[in-house]
Amino acid sequence: MENGPCYSLLHLLALLSLLSIFLSHLSRFHVLADSHFEGFDADGEDDDESLIHNTLPLRSSPLTQSDPDPEPTPDPTSQDPDANQYSEPPSRPSSSSDLPKPSSTSFEYWDEDEFEGLPVEQPPLETPKIPENATPDDPSSDPKTAPKPIAATSPKSYTVEIVCGSFLIVFAINYFTGKRENENIALAWAVKFASKDSIFDKNFSLLGVGDGDDSPLLLKEGQNVFKFHASGRRYCQGLLATMELKSRHDLISRMYNLVVPCSDEISFEVYMNDDAMDHLVFAVAKKKAAKWMQKEIRDLQRFANMVSPPSGRKWVAEELAVISESKEVAGDLITEVVLEQVFGEKAFEKFGKGFISIHFSDQQPGTHKKMLLFKFALPDANSMADMTRLVALVPYYIDLVGRYRLSTQARSKTEITRMKIAQEAHREEQNARQEALQRKKAERKKLLEEAESKLGAEAIKRKEAKERARQMKKSMPRVKMTRAH
Amino acid sequence: MSSHGNASTASDPRQPSAAEPFVQQSVAPQDPPVDYSGFIAVMFGVAGVMFRYKLCSWVAIIFFAQSLANMRNFETDLKQVSMALMNKLNG
Repeated sequence: MENGPCYSLLHLLALLSLLSIFLSHLSRFHVLADSHFEGFDADGEDDDESLIHNTLPLRSSPLTQSDPDPEPTPDPTSQDPDANQYSEPPSRPSSSSDLPKPSSTSFEYWDEDEFEGLPVEQPPLETPKIPENATPDDPSSDPKTAPKPIAATSPKSYTVEIVCGSFLIVFAINYFTGKRENENIALAWAVKFASKDSIFDKNFSLLGVGDGDDSPLLLKEGQNVFKFHASGRRYCQGLLATMELKSRHDLISRMYNLVVPCSDEISFEVYMNDDAMDHLVFAVAKKKAAKWMQKEIRDLQRFANMVSPPSGRKWVAEELAVISESKEVAGDLITEVVLEQVFGEKAFEKFGKGFISIHFSDQQPGTHKKMLLFKFALPDANSMADMTRLVALVPYYIDLVGRYRLSTQARSKTEITRMKIAQEAHREEQNARQEALQRKKAERKKLLEEAESKLGAEAIKRKEAKERARQMKKSMPRVKMTRAH
Repeated sequence: MSSHGNASTASDPRQPSAAEPFVQQSVAPQDPPVDYSGFIAVMFGVAGVMFRYKLCSWVAIIFFAQSLANMRNFETDLKQVSMALMNKLNG
């Protein structure tokens, strides 16, 4: 698929990790097996008579331990034949759990006598099972020689596991609660604005993201992104509302949002019909955001400028800034109704808290050129009604922009600017094409040069070889002469 | 100008004939959104294996959980499963 190299890398990593773990397990068993051999070779040297009764259970216990080993075959060969006869019968019927206990007392002899190397692996494996041992040797040797297997039982090293495990549990709980919270917000919005007899139902004939009457209203694209689609209205092809909520389902993002503020947002994209929208580039936002938009967004940057509040008429609240191609257009689009409802001083204080930006343009980059963009902040699930006036802006502006026609003067100005920009874009395309052609030519030249140089290198090599051959011939007769001497 | 959204009076803005069904934008598979937490999880997992550091493996599991939580449209299942296996074996 598309993630081919990633897939292969990850598979490699997984395989490597598996290999490393198997190797580590194997290495542990290897050491165990080796110790058995040492012990058995030393066994054979001792007096069998004195130690036979004691060694019986001991020798059988290594057998039981060696059973899980991957190398059982070398064990019988290393043992003495006498010991074999004694050790094999008791090992078969007895289970591994029984044998270590009777042999525990005899381990003391083993520890004291000679085999200090042996008990490294054996007692640490068995002392956890045998609480009866009261000898001072074993406990003293255990922490020194084999801390690793015991470390799992000591309480100190569990902190990492406990902390991370509890974090994961809290993460899982938060996932489900956050998911439900986000869904509630989205559903509350849909109930208020997209259900029957709501504003969108009155304005659009087709609501929802499916076919037919019972189509679901919202599309869930991830735990914090919801989409709503409406279509079937004059002047526009359709409307797509995208709700981007805070990542409440993700604990790490939630902690991050405590530091870096974030808010739930809803953005409406209205796709206008080609004949419904005149040359318009217009935006309204809070002052800082407006400055950023005017610098960053392409069509605002190219076509429009900040518009200072005109004298002699009501204008938007102080906190807001208007970006437009011309003052005339700005004035026409900010009507009295809008000022009264949302953007005026008084209205904005009450109802404008959720307002982020609006942006109308017929020069949008992308597939749809003529679009109206509205961005609002979503309130709580319980206070969706606060947004009513903001949402009412959407159909109002669809109608307003759909009917609006520029005056001839304004039209001519806009046409001039658009022509210029279209020409510039054309020139840029031509330049880009020329550059691409030049690069291809340069690459071809490089390839040819390399080929020539290779040929040249081969010729040089031949020459060198010939020269060496000549030198060899020259040197050869001298050698002959010396030999003759 | 006066009739904005009045369904009962003269102009009902709805035009059923102009209704277009929703077409979901399919994400171009060549450029999926960058999965930062998954990437960090892989880095920590590899570090945990190489340095035998338990904390690294646990942190990798946590970030892997985050990438799972942020997963959209159940994409790249195999990748998640293989990462989970790797982390379980090491952590």
